[in-house]
Parts: sequence; structure tokens; C-alpha cells
Amino acid sequence: MTNSSLPYTRLDVCNRFLESVRHSVVLGLEVLSAEEHAVRVRVPWREDLVGNPETGVMHGGAIFAMMDHAGGMAVTCRTFPTFEITPTIDFRVDHLRGPAKGAAVVCEATCYRLTNHVAFVRITTWEEGSEDEPIATGLATYTRLKIETAGKVVGQ
Amino acid sequence: MKALKTLIEECRAGEADYQSLIDRVPYARFLGIQVVAQGDELTFVLPKHDNVVGNPTLPALHGGAVAGFMEQAAIIFILLQMGEPRVPKTIDFTIDYLRAGLFRDTYAECSVTRLGRRIANVHISAWQKNRQEPITIARAHFLLSDDAG
Repeated sequence: MTNSSLPYTRLDVCNRFLESVRHSVVLGLEVLSAEEHAVRVRVPWREDLVGNPETGVMHGGAIFAMMDHAGGMAVTCRTFPTFEITPTIDFRVDHLRGPAKGAAVVCEATCYRLTNHVAFVRITTWEEGSEDEPIATGLATYTRLKIETAGKVVGQ
Repeated sequence: MKALKTLIEECRAGEADYQSLIDRVPYARFLGIQVVAQGDELTFVLPKHDNVVGNPTLPALHGGAVAGFMEQAAIIFILLQMGEPRVPKTIDFTIDYLRAGLFRDTYAECSVTRLGRRIANVHISAWQKNRQEPITIARAHFLLSDDAG
């Protein structure tokens, strides 16, 4: 599907979505790319996001928050150009290994099935630069709220 | 700075404030997590503040912030209640969102479903109005440290 006539891209919408979510902005999240079937989001390593003061490893909660929002953006990319509010129904994350101290973390989220009311999403996460060695995987469902004014969130 | 293990022992012996343990974790300070002890019961608090807002129009709390709060609550719970000497590693974390998290204080309590030698299975429940109406429930597995000393 091409939408070359639209004045905004999936990346534009995801960026606006991110900017509207205060917690994601405070975490320093960044959308790296946004395609119909894949969204990439990055969280920087920061001193105040450390979960284990003895090792300096980033907290699982910060990684979770990135994956959760990336999952929502994956749904956004499927429903594009319509923007929908999509609360998370449930989310499971497996932490395969800890990211190194000082390493930024990147995830890719894919909405692999979109039904009338529910979106099914999987997310893979790795240390920036080590795409072949995932540090976490996630599996989530989101519900599609039918709110006509939802587009206002991203300035539509 | 005191070793984490020493601080945990002091907390358990009642010689140090529980909050001093939470304040040692940068991410817990970032979220502003507090702990309230009533006898042996621990209730964790995520005070409402701008940094944990997700949807600004409602406004609602960010689901990720609530999840991070619950995961951290479980970690502190294991350290304090179980006397685990090191920060346990999260193996997996599964959360159900039951109600919207409104812009107000959020509370969480933990229970250890099973404590093995290496793995702890923890249930976490978070609420705002009353604990009979949780906004989220979660279950998680944590890897405990190998050395007992």
C-alpha cells in the first residue's frame, strides 16, 4: 500500500505519538524507523535508568516501557494512516541476557496480526550494534479503541 | 558507600530505613518509588507525577512505568523479605492491564508464590482506589544469586 499523497509518513506519526507520551520522552526514546510491518525504537543508557547499582545494568522496567510503546507504534503502522488509541491488554517479556553497562538498547516491534478489536504484536530487543544477539523478547496484545477523535493525539 | 548486602541486612534488622535501599536503585529514584511498612507487610507506592504520564489527554499513567514500578517492587520485596544478598535478575515478567491507570498514586503489593533455591515466582498486584480493584496484575520469575554468603 502506498500513501505517497499523504502529507505525513508512518515515521512522522510515530514521532508525534512518542512526543505526546511524557514518560517515553523522559526515558529518551527515539524512533529509528517505521515501516508497515516493523518499527524500531531506541533507549539510551543513562545513569538514572540503572536497575542494579552494583553492575550498572539498565533496569528491566525501562526496557519494558520502550518495548510496550514500540508495540503500540507497531499497531499504529498497521492502521496507518488512521491513528488509533490502543491500550495494552497484556504483555510478556523474557529477559534473555542483561545488556552491558553503557549500552543503548534497540527494539523492533511487529504487529503480525490485526483483527477488528485486537492487535497481536511481537518485539525483539538487542544491544545497539548486536542485532544478532537478542537480550529480550516480548509478546503482547493491544485493544483497538474506537474513538473518532484519536487522531488529535498526533495532530491529525 | 555501604555494600548492598550490608544495607539489606541493616534494613532487615530494623537498623536502616527501607527507603534507603530503594534510593540505592537509580531507576527506582527516577520513578519516585516509596515503600510503606506496616508490621511485616510492605506496600509500594508510585506517587503521581508528570514523568510517569503516558496519555496526556486522559491523563493516564504510562503502562510501562506501572510495569517498571511493579517489577522493582518485586525485586525490593525479594531483597527485604527473603534476605537475598544480591539484586535478583528478572527472567520474565508478564502483566495484565485490567483498568486504566488514572493520574493518581498507585500502590502495589507482592507475594512469593514459590521460592526455590534458584528461582522465585512472584505475583504482584497494583491498585489505585482499593486493592479489590487492581489496575494491573503481574507474575514474574527471578533468578536468585548462587552464593548464599
